[in-house]
Amino acid sequence: MGPRPSGAARQGAFGATVTFIVLFVVDFLLKGGHFSAFDLKTLCMNALPLVLVALGQFFVVLTNGIDLSLGPMMSVSGAIAALTFSTSPIGAVLLAMVAAAGGGLANAILVVRLRLPPILATLATMSIFQGVALVILPSPEGTVPAGLTAFLTNGGPALLPVPLVLLVCAALATGWTMTTRFGIWLRAVGGDEGAARSSGVAVSAVKFGAYVLAALLAGLGGLYLAIATANGSPTIGDSFILLSIAAVVLGRVAIVGGRGSPLGVVMGALTLTIIGSLLYFANLSSFYQSLINGLILVGVVGFDMIRKRFLLAVRGGRQ
Amino acid sequence: MLVLQSIEKSFGATRAVRDVTLDATSGAVLGLVGENGAGKSSLMKIAGGIIRPDQGVVRLEGASVTGLSPRSALARGIVSVFQELTLIRSLTVGENLSLLKPPIRSWGSIDKARRLREGQKTLDRFDVPVRASSIVGELTLGQQQMVEIIRAVTRRPKVLLLDEATAALGAPEVKWLAGIVAAERERGTIILFISHRWEEIESFCQRVAIMRNGELVAHSAVEDVSHDRAVELMTGRPLGIAFPRKRPASGGTALLQAEGLESDVLHGVGLQLAPGEILGVGGLVGQGQDALLKSLFGDHPLISGTITVAGKRCDLRKPSDAIRRRIAYVPQERKVEGLLLHKSIAVNLSLAILRRLSSWMGLIDHKREQQILSQSIDRLKIRAASGAEPVGALSGGNQQKVLLQKWLLTKPTVLLLNDVTRGVDIGTKTQIYDIVVDLAASGVGVLLYSTDAHELVELGHRVLVMIDGRINAELSGYGLTAEAIVRASIGQEVRDGAAA
Repeated sequence: MGPRPSGAARQGAFGATVTFIVLFVVDFLLKGGHFSAFDLKTLCMNALPLVLVALGQFFVVLTNGIDLSLGPMMSVSGAIAALTFSTSPIGAVLLAMVAAAGGGLANAILVVRLRLPPILATLATMSIFQGVALVILPSPEGTVPAGLTAFLTNGGPALLPVPLVLLVCAALATGWTMTTRFGIWLRAVGGDEGAARSSGVAVSAVKFGAYVLAALLAGLGGLYLAIATANGSPTIGDSFILLSIAAVVLGRVAIVGGRGSPLGVVMGALTLTIIGSLLYFANLSSFYQSLINGLILVGVVGFDMIRKRFLLAVRGGRQ
Repeated sequence: MLVLQSIEKSFGATRAVRDVTLDATSGAVLGLVGENGAGKSSLMKIAGGIIRPDQGVVRLEGASVTGLSPRSALARGIVSVFQELTLIRSLTVGENLSLLKPPIRSWGSIDKARRLREGQKTLDRFDVPVRASSIVGELTLGQQQMVEIIRAVTRRPKVLLLDEATAALGAPEVKWLAGIVAAERERGTIILFISHRWEEIESFCQRVAIMRNGELVAHSAVEDVSHDRAVELMTGRPLGIAFPRKRPASGGTALLQAEGLESDVLHGVGLQLAPGEILGVGGLVGQGQDALLKSLFGDHPLISGTITVAGKRCDLRKPSDAIRRRIAYVPQERKVEGLLLHKSIAVNLSLAILRRLSSWMGLIDHKREQQILSQSIDRLKIRAASGAEPVGALSGGNQQKVLLQKWLLTKPTVLLLNDVTRGVDIGTKTQIYDIVVDLAASGVGVLLYSTDAHELVELGHRVLVMIDGRINAELSGYGLTAEAIVRASIGQEVRDGAAA
């Protein structure tokens, strides 16, 4: 018989890891075989916002949903933080998180209570959050304590920089969530919502949880972006709308829900981040990034498809 | 005691349940029988608190349990096994069994090893030959149904509702279920059991309620109702199940020939189908019959083997290849594989004949469409149907008839039937049998897979019995009996008449 689902998820994470390692090696060779502690720190720092928002997107996609509003959610939380940091740093973080949770709640109400298709509901809130970010912060500005920026981007020992620690923590926390009852219910809802409901799974609560968690992770991502760049920008999250989905797909999460692993998603996000660095060292304009991202996405998905068919034929032939 | 009082329920213009008052007590299993569309499933869902009746109340031990969510119904000890299985196919058996209450470690993580161990223990305790680590989607329908049943029982229900729980089970598993139901009855569970097979009602139930057209027409002790009387009450006409008379196959060159079919499920299967022949395929559930039919419809990837249609070798890679060669396939899972449930009967039927209705410019001749459709809808004999009704609003048996009619409109030369009468009531079955035999008489070759041995014996000219992707026996003539099919299904020597 075929692979077990947990096995399938692990296999997906393996594929995503291989993709990352291949690109990493290419990047390494382009740089002339040089990878320093500085490079490690830079990679983690650049990847962290995408890792956070992609892990958020992962929860939603697992339930067979999609959240287009996560990118603008990052702009909103970053903008709020940038505007209020000078008053009270802790208050700023709390306020940004509350706003994110509120946004996630709004998405959940539209999807669960009003039964709007997720793509429509979050298309609307995406536009709303973009608007909110522009209204509260019309141009990039704000202040972030320099010490905080320095610590979160540059802190920690050389081989264990703070961005890496944060990245690992986010991955572990998501991984842990997937081992709880909430985790298996997420997979159940994404696998077959009707059957999950009839089986007694609290489907509405699970979906509320997914959308709110996703928004909180996006909020954290936006917060980190604001702190790392030392100011807020109302459009900084826009590119993450599709990047977060691309990272989930590269992480071999089933886009129809039910299957996938956080490790795969982290690898997907790292892969997309390293493509940026690759272009830089290959002396290509960053305008190529989008093009290359798309090609890699098609390549990876296509390769998986062909591989699956090949394995099926081989397995059948053995019997 | 579970009491249903003056229950009324309509779906659109159809009154599914009409003023039904019924009670079920612990200690006596209540059988609920009736034709498809009689309202049994609706009544059961109302009893299970899952759909809200338009009028009337449901009380369990005096407290109202009318119109709950599935979750709160479960919390009150009302557990249903639906006709549509509710296991999550992408999860493992163990994950499904403990979905609501997985074993949790102190920090909130699920203890996977314990879940696997406990799941396997449950499976072993109930003699279910399935591994807890298997993915549900890879089990046979029968195994899935067994898992669903034990999941229901392990929830220690106060009320256990079984809707067609035997539909995918073979004879030994039905016996297995009888044991479980008896044990639950001993424990004091209130049990409602829906079935189409009267033998099962006799062996499972102490009391029986018979429904027709949404009304309760009888409610009494099982021994007070004879089989004939029950059929009469169900159908409203004094008839047992009548198989149409077998007519000889016309012979001639084979319409369809397969040799050495190999795939991940099939191992060297070959067959020949003559014009006018009804070739039965039998065996236990999940022995490759599904794959065999699908491979002949281009819907199951083959590793090797040849298929010859009307004397010409061909490569069936996708269903449209088969359809072009006028092969039609009526699937078992009609909901997944063949009908647009939200569209009307008319739309579903005309989809199959769009090409025939179109002019050279691609425009559709609506007058001809109307004419053809009204004829075939008449032929369907569907109650409360105008053709404008969405197919999803029809009962299961009626959906099956629509699907069959859809394919007949394509004028096939080979018809592949994948256990189409499973879960279908006697009245509809008889109509389907008539259609099949008439078609064969007109020269169509029919490959009929069925889990019902009697059906194979009564309709088939020859019957192939499959075990584990191979044809174990070919039965025909005097050797073709229900007993021989059952013997061949479990690999026993067929003594006489195995005229291969």
